[in-house]
This record gives sequence, structure tokens and C-alpha cells, in this order.
Amino acid sequence: MIASSSPIVRLGIRAASPPAVMVGVYLLFAGHNQPGGGFAAGLVFGAVVALRTVAGLQRPSRAHELMAIGILIIASVALLPIIWGDALLDQHVVSVDIPLLGKIKTGSALPFDLGVTAVVVGLLLAVLDGLGAPELAEEPATLRPRSLR
Amino acid sequence: MSFLIAMVMIAPLVAASAGILLRRRARTRDIATMAGLGVAALGSFAILFEVASNGTQVIRVGGWSPTVGIVLVADLFAALVLPIALSIILIVEVFAVGQRRTAWGANPELAGPLLGVLTAGVALAILTGDLFTLFVAFELILVSSYVLLTHQGKRGQIRSGMTYVVMNLFASTLFLFGVAFVYAATGTINIALLAERIPELDAGIRLGIGAWFFVVFGTKAAIFPLFSWLPDSYPTAPTTITAVFAGLLTKIGIYAMIRFHTLTGMDELGPVMLVVAGLTMVVGALGALAQSDVKRILSFHVISQIGYMLMGLGLFSAAGTTGAILFLLHHMPVKTVLFLVGGLIENHEGTSSLDRSGGLAARRPLIAAMFAIPALSLAGLPPFSGFVAKLAVISAAIDEASIGIAVVALAAGALTLLSMTKIWIGVFWGTDADQAEATPAAPNNRRLMTGATALAVAGTLAISLLAGPIFDLSQRAANELRSADLYIDEVTSR
Repeated sequence: MIASSSPIVRLGIRAASPPAVMVGVYLLFAGHNQPGGGFAAGLVFGAVVALRTVAGLQRPSRAHELMAIGILIIASVALLPIIWGDALLDQHVVSVDIPLLGKIKTGSALPFDLGVTAVVVGLLLAVLDGLGAPELAEEPATLRPRSLR
Repeated sequence: MSFLIAMVMIAPLVAASAGILLRRRARTRDIATMAGLGVAALGSFAILFEVASNGTQVIRVGGWSPTVGIVLVADLFAALVLPIALSIILIVEVFAVGQRRTAWGANPELAGPLLGVLTAGVALAILTGDLFTLFVAFELILVSSYVLLTHQGKRGQIRSGMTYVVMNLFASTLFLFGVAFVYAATGTINIALLAERIPELDAGIRLGIGAWFFVVFGTKAAIFPLFSWLPDSYPTAPTTITAVFAGLLTKIGIYAMIRFHTLTGMDELGPVMLVVAGLTMVVGALGALAQSDVKRILSFHVISQIGYMLMGLGLFSAAGTTGAILFLLHHMPVKTVLFLVGGLIENHEGTSSLDRSGGLAARRPLIAAMFAIPALSLAGLPPFSGFVAKLAVISAAIDEASIGIAVVALAAGALTLLSMTKIWIGVFWGTDADQAEATPAAPNNRRLMTGATALAVAGTLAISLLAGPIFDLSQRAANELRSADLYIDEVTSR
């Protein structure tokens, strides 16, 4: 593994992961009214996950489940307003006062964006698995082709 | 009502995610996928009844007005195409469940969820009221079709898949550029508002937009000379996948073209469309004659038949548009059935090549009958649905004094019949002595496959029987499209 043989890679990626996740979370909330959103956040999380995969560090493993649950969340956020008699995909905005952070405005857009994020991260994980990235990370010296299924 | 329209798109997506979650439990997964697609198909029939009796239904997504938001419009044209499209996918999914345990089946872990996503894309493409959402729907359909086409990783699939991906990506890029042009010229991408504003533009800009989208939708619809991606890629895919693609994908292209060009009144493009339509018919029919494999012959017929729909559209008369809609409705199930029968032949004979099979009529009379009915219908013989559809298109051409295209259409019909005869002689007649190399699959799930095919044949017969009411509905849909005012009012006023 690259991570076990190179402390620079190991410590660098470990140190970079939390700030990158913070950026992703920021994008997730900023996306309600500004550039950002679930897709952009998912890509940032996906970049973290990809780096950790290639280096052989720990990362989430349930790619398919993430995708499926993401779609289910999106579908329910889209359909629920109709059951309450509003338009398809209608939004409900909630403002909360939180100490230190101040007033935070969010709403049904948040679970929707979380669903999108889950689909994007799940897809990236599935692509990495499909390309054999975890196996490559284990044996960086010999780039053996994966046997065809 | 808005719940129904939303369900038609969301149920297949939920089915897809259920299929992913349950991917290791074959039986539960198949039932979940079929249930989701079944709910969508039932919902689409309910929409048809609602729209036929109460008029166009419009949903404003998120409650936004059409100038800024997305609208979904279930007008009669959409409501007619939707149930047929969704029923086809449902029937093919049932067939696929039967075919999976054989060598020609698609990988069920992938095919079920991807068919769900494809269905959602098809429903969105049919119902959407703006150009950009149409682009998104096309992408949804195409991305799942790329995977469905190539996921078995056979050499032919990858090779022809490359052409397919490149051609379609190119068309998608042109589509996106076209959306930008339209927005620059009119300040909107909502189709209803476009129907209002495009006729007021300068002739040059207006026809430029029309020609641009003719190329874009034409590539998706595989018209001459943009069809090169189709006849190589379709036959290489598993039969179920080909059946869905042949029944739906090119038809969604022609559907978008009928909607866009009729609503925005591109009548001046008519002559160009008629010439292209004639060439598409003849080249497709001649191409089919030259092939010696059931699936390749049928793939060329897909191209040839697109010509008839384009001909109906290109006439830009009420009767012509009616004919195009009727032809679309007839063609989707018939083409799917033919490919499903192709799959059955492959399953029984071990090959779909004409040279290496034979004598199936004596051994499997049911398959022969299930092939004969849609084949005669496709060639346009009475009393089948193809006859009514072709009659509508050709009589519309004669009304408009476009005798040339009517003659070409009749000649192409004769050529179609000729290549169907070729399949009949090759596969169903003769002796079965010379099929030493062929290895028929184990007969484990043929009952399900045959049942699904029989159901689809019954569907095409139902369209022949109900030709009268369907013709009336098509006529109403065509009138709604041609007098765009009604559509504009419905979308913008509420």
C-alpha cells in the first residue's frame, strides 16, 4: 500500500480529508441560494473518497446502497409535497437560530441535496470499485490486469 | 392528477433503486422491478383516460411559473404515446426475466435498474414542457442505453458501442448548443412560449433553429444520412435490450421532432423533410434486403419505418400529422414484438442467422404465428395496424398532391414485405438438418418469454381492433399540436 510505505502520502491525505469534507458541507448548505449544492458537495466528498481509495486508506464501502438510498430520498422529497396538496418538488423553508452559528435557513431542499450527494458519492465509489482501484492500491508495484469475469 | 404524472416518472426510479438494493436476491429484485414498471404503465393509462376526457393537464414543478420554472405537460399527444411506451418496457422486462438464465440474456443485476432509469427518462422526455428538461431526459435515456448496450463486454458490442456513443454524444452536444441559440433568440426555452415567439422571428433565424433541431432529433431518430450508428449497434446487444431500443429510442427522437417542429410551425422545412423521409425509407428497406441475420434485417427496418413518420410530419397538414402520430403508436409495439420473436428464434435455434436456422414453422407453429402477425403489420397489410397507419400517411400525401413521396412509400412497403419474406423462408421454412453448430438454450424459462411475446402480439392486435378510436384521438392530438394556441393557453394561463 502506498499509505503504509509513504508517510507523506498517508499523513497528507489524512490531514487534507477533514478540511475537504468541511468544504463539501459548506457547499451543501450554500447551494440553497448560492453556487454549490448537492452535486458539487458530492464531487468534493467523492474526491476525498477517491484519494483515500488510491492511497489504500479507510473509506466507505457500500457504493450501491448509497446510490439506491439517495434515489429513494430524492423520490420521497419530490412526492411528499403532492400528498400535502402542494406542487411536485415544492420546497418548505425552515429558519433556525443556532447559538454561535446564528440564523440558519434550510428546508426540504436539504434532504434533496443529501440524496443527490449520496448518489454522486455512491456512483464514484462504484466506478472506483469497477476500475479495480482498491486492488491497485494494495499492490502498486505490479499493475496486474484484473481477470475478466 | 399531478400525483399520477409524478408517479409515472418516480415509480421506475424507485424500482431502479429497489433493484440495486436487492441485487443479490434475484426473485425479490425481479418482482420489485416489474412492480415499479407496472405501476408506471397503469398510471400512464389512467393519464390517457383523464386527458382524453378532461383535456391537457399541466404541472408546474415547485409551483414556479413557466417563464422561470419547469412544467410537465400531459397533452393528448403525450398521453397517447406514454402508455404504449411504458407497456412496452414492462413487457420486455417480463421477457427479460425469462431470458436471463440463458446465454443471450442481459446481466439481470444491471438490466433491471437501468431499465428503470431508462423508463424514467422516456416518461420525462414525453411529458416535459421545456427544451432543457428534454435534453436532460435524452441524457438519462442515453447514459443508461450506453451501459445496457455494452455491459456484456463482447468485442462486437464494444466496437459498435463506440460509434453509438460518439454519434449520440455529438448529437447531445449539438442539442445543448441549440438550446443556447434558442434562448439567445427568444429568451425562453419553454416549448409553449417558444411556440408563441419563434413564429415572430426573422425567417433566417427561425429556419436555422428548425434545421438545427431537425439534425439533432434526426440523429436520435436515425434518419438518412445520420443512421450509421444504428444497424451495427442494435443487433449486438442482448435481444431484450434491442427490443426496448428499437421500440423506443428512435421513436423518442421523432416524438420530440413532431412536437417541436409542429408547435413552432416550421412548415417551410416540409420539402426537405419529405426528401429525407423518402431516402430514409428506401435506404432502410434496401439495407434490410442485403442482410442475412434476423436481428440485422429488423434493425434496418427501424430506419426504414422512421421515414414514414418523418413523411407524415413533413407534409405539415392536419392529416399528415395525424398519420405520423398514428404510425408512431402502431410502430412502437410492432417493432418490439418482432425483436422479441427474434429473441425466441435465437433461443430455440441457437442463432439468429438465416443460413443456419430453418424449419421452425413446423416445430414451433406458435412462434411462426407470433412472427407473421407483426411482420405483416409492419409491411402494412390489412387488417393489421400497419395498414391503417400507412393508409393515413399515404392518403395525407395524396391530399397534399405529394404523389412522389406516396409512390416511394408504397415501394418501400413492398421492399419491407420482401425482406420479411426472406426471414420467413430462412427461419420458418425448410428443413432443420443443417443446424449442427447451433446450440439451443436450455428450455427453462421459455414459458415466461413466450407469454410476454404473446401479450405484446395481443397488444398490437388490440391497436388494430381499436384503430377507429385511436385514429380519432390521433386526429385530436394533431389538431392540438397544429393550432398551437390551445397548447400555449393551457401551459401559460393557469
